[in-house]
Amino acid sequence: MKFRSSGRKAEKIEAQMTPMIDVVFQLLIFFMLTLKIIAPEGDFNINMPIAAPSDTKTDEPLLPDIKIRLVASPGGELSSVQLNRRDLGNGDEAFQRLNAEILRILGNPADPANKDMEVEIDADYNLNYRYTVQAIAAARGRLDRKTGTLVSYIEKIKFAPPRRPSAG
Amino acid sequence: MRFKKTDPTVPDIDMTPMIDVTFQLITFFMVITNFENTRADERVKLPKDELARPSETTRDNEVVLNMGFIRNAEGENVAGPFVFYGDGENYPVLEVGTILKREYRYFKDVGKKPEDATIVLRSDGEVPTGLVQEAIKLAQEAGFSKFALKAMSEEK
Repeated sequence: MKFRSSGRKAEKIEAQMTPMIDVVFQLLIFFMLTLKIIAPEGDFNINMPIAAPSDTKTDEPLLPDIKIRLVASPGGELSSVQLNRRDLGNGDEAFQRLNAEILRILGNPADPANKDMEVEIDADYNLNYRYTVQAIAAARGRLDRKTGTLVSYIEKIKFAPPRRPSAG
Repeated sequence: MRFKKTDPTVPDIDMTPMIDVTFQLITFFMVITNFENTRADERVKLPKDELARPSETTRDNEVVLNMGFIRNAEGENVAGPFVFYGDGENYPVLEVGTILKREYRYFKDVGKKPEDATIVLRSDGEVPTGLVQEAIKLAQEAGFSKFALKAMSEEK
């Protein structure tokens, strides 16, 4: 009996590359088009249980109160920053001063006694939210320029009750 | 003299390095494509701050509230502020309580602890702070107590 293949050299089967390359390019183009370059987002954590914190505070060791008051102009822009009723001005310098003042109150930010420190932010109702975020950041800490890491100041940040316009 | 017989058609191109490179590219784009951020609303222009760092831990349970304005082509606010909710509806901020109560019930129904859930507030930089506070207050009344305020990381 004669076989067809007898005597013939084993042939290398050529894989069809064209459809695969087509698919691969389709995928490549899909991922390139769906790519959205977005700046990474970060969080500021805020813990605000519903129970009034002022009741539990009485039997705790006395900690210096840190109250940040943000006063808005009628247009919602920042008109002044106050730390414990002391005026720190406005603009970016005010937040730098606020940051420095909080560091002064804390002394050493790494001191474990500072773990329980709390800051209360009391902002005008119509103040643009970005100023509030600036104030939170100023209380939260400072960025170490050399290492690029966060030097944490105060972790517990809360809001005073909203100042509704009708209430003054 | 004898010449080696050559095929006059197109010379064979070696495809292997090209496919290698293409696969590398595909892998690169797949890795950096972020499908998780779909709950973020583009209409919200987050405030920028260099201290806002992406959190290291991933939260299992979170409710994202996008608060912002509807802007026209010139970037002026034409309506709002609204909460842009996942169902495509825009709710006035003060009506967000019903949504949050629904979310609270949902967490209970699926057997998760609503107390552990985080309310992620993605709020536009121009939203009045008072309304952000109102949203926090409504969330507290609905039973939530953990909050995270989102800001854009900014390198100075």
